[in-house]
Amino acid sequence: MTRGLERVEMGTRPGDAEFQRVYSDVEAYYGARVAKYGATPRGVDWSCQATQSLRFVQLLRICDFAGPFALNDVGCGYGALCAFLDLRYPDSRVDYLGVDLSRAMVSRARRRFRRAGRRFAVGKASPRLADYSVASGVMNVNVGYSRAVWEDFIAAMLQDMRRTSRLGFSVNFMSDVVAAPEAPDYLPATLYRTSPERWIPYCEDALGCSVETLDNYGMREFTLLLRCRENLANSPLRH
Amino acid sequence: MGAMIKDSTTLEILVQLNKRFDAESLPEMIELQKEFEVFSSKRSLQQAFALLGIVPTDWSERRRWYKFLDFLKTYPSDLPKVNGHDRVIKAFKDGLSAGKPIPISIKCHSAADDPRVTVAKGRPVVFTIETHLIVSIPTTPGREVRKQAAEVAKKRRAAKKK
Repeated sequence: MTRGLERVEMGTRPGDAEFQRVYSDVEAYYGARVAKYGATPRGVDWSCQATQSLRFVQLLRICDFAGPFALNDVGCGYGALCAFLDLRYPDSRVDYLGVDLSRAMVSRARRRFRRAGRRFAVGKASPRLADYSVASGVMNVNVGYSRAVWEDFIAAMLQDMRRTSRLGFSVNFMSDVVAAPEAPDYLPATLYRTSPERWIPYCEDALGCSVETLDNYGMREFTLLLRCRENLANSPLRH
Repeated sequence: MGAMIKDSTTLEILVQLNKRFDAESLPEMIELQKEFEVFSSKRSLQQAFALLGIVPTDWSERRRWYKFLDFLKTYPSDLPKVNGHDRVIKAFKDGLSAGKPIPISIKCHSAADDPRVTVAKGRPVVFTIETHLIVSIPTTPGREVRKQAAEVAKKRRAAKKK
């Protein structure tokens, strides 16, 4: 169970070639989804706008909306978080940067939401340091890779988010309490499910974060709110 | 439903609805209602179901589905001065905000037997042991409606000839 994580903690990340394949397959997967379903929640594997928004509510609990801040949206898809921010926090001053592996997604996001304070980039990780980062659903579809490889991928993503977040970041995972045959049929077969206990020690020890778990919002998943205890942005991560 | 949308679409929508509001999915729906007031007097049934993604997979049927939801405003209900559309919203709103929410089921009944949208507690199917809130929509089979319309047209043509 912990094989993938141990490899990362020991500082030996999987080969670049393997990671490139994962990134490339993730890009292909979401490119196909958005081609089939368009810029809709289904296009990013969520059942509907309401559940997608409920996830945003949880993820954004990491942010302090009392003042302006910079936000990275990792795996931004077609930019649904922009619409949610406008609707839910119309007076907030958020310098938003959406990042996604899929060019098709970013292209749709730019078409719909690009304006001052709303930017998008194609990439694996945010190219800038922001106050906060969020990632919704990016850890869920393992595109056919083994658990160990996928957990390496997750650990790398968490490291990138930690490196590019000044104050904190948040991510969600599908909970492992639901057996696969009971999963809703609109979900793809290659889902990664886990428990908070699987990732909390890693986030605390390796990433230097304090962790708050949200798992009481009616969905079969949980959100981790990770507050940075120290600024690691310019220093190497501990392994 | 009935004359307004295809039988296959009706079945698909009923499956979607009954799955989203069954015992297993109920906690999610309760949270969505709490957070966003999905069902409220400020939002039409069209908007509520669009938010929840309860729509036919066949794109050509979506407009008809939305039209049907709007058409429920012309239906009576089991509450005085409340139309069928508002009755459905009230049932979902009250059901999800109840102290002890129970699963919600949607079913259809013959409009000839009762033209009203009705809401009651009971067991929607024989194999369940849980009590559900059952919202029942009056329906006339499409074929019957078309037959009635054809007869009316025939009579009109006959009257013109005379």
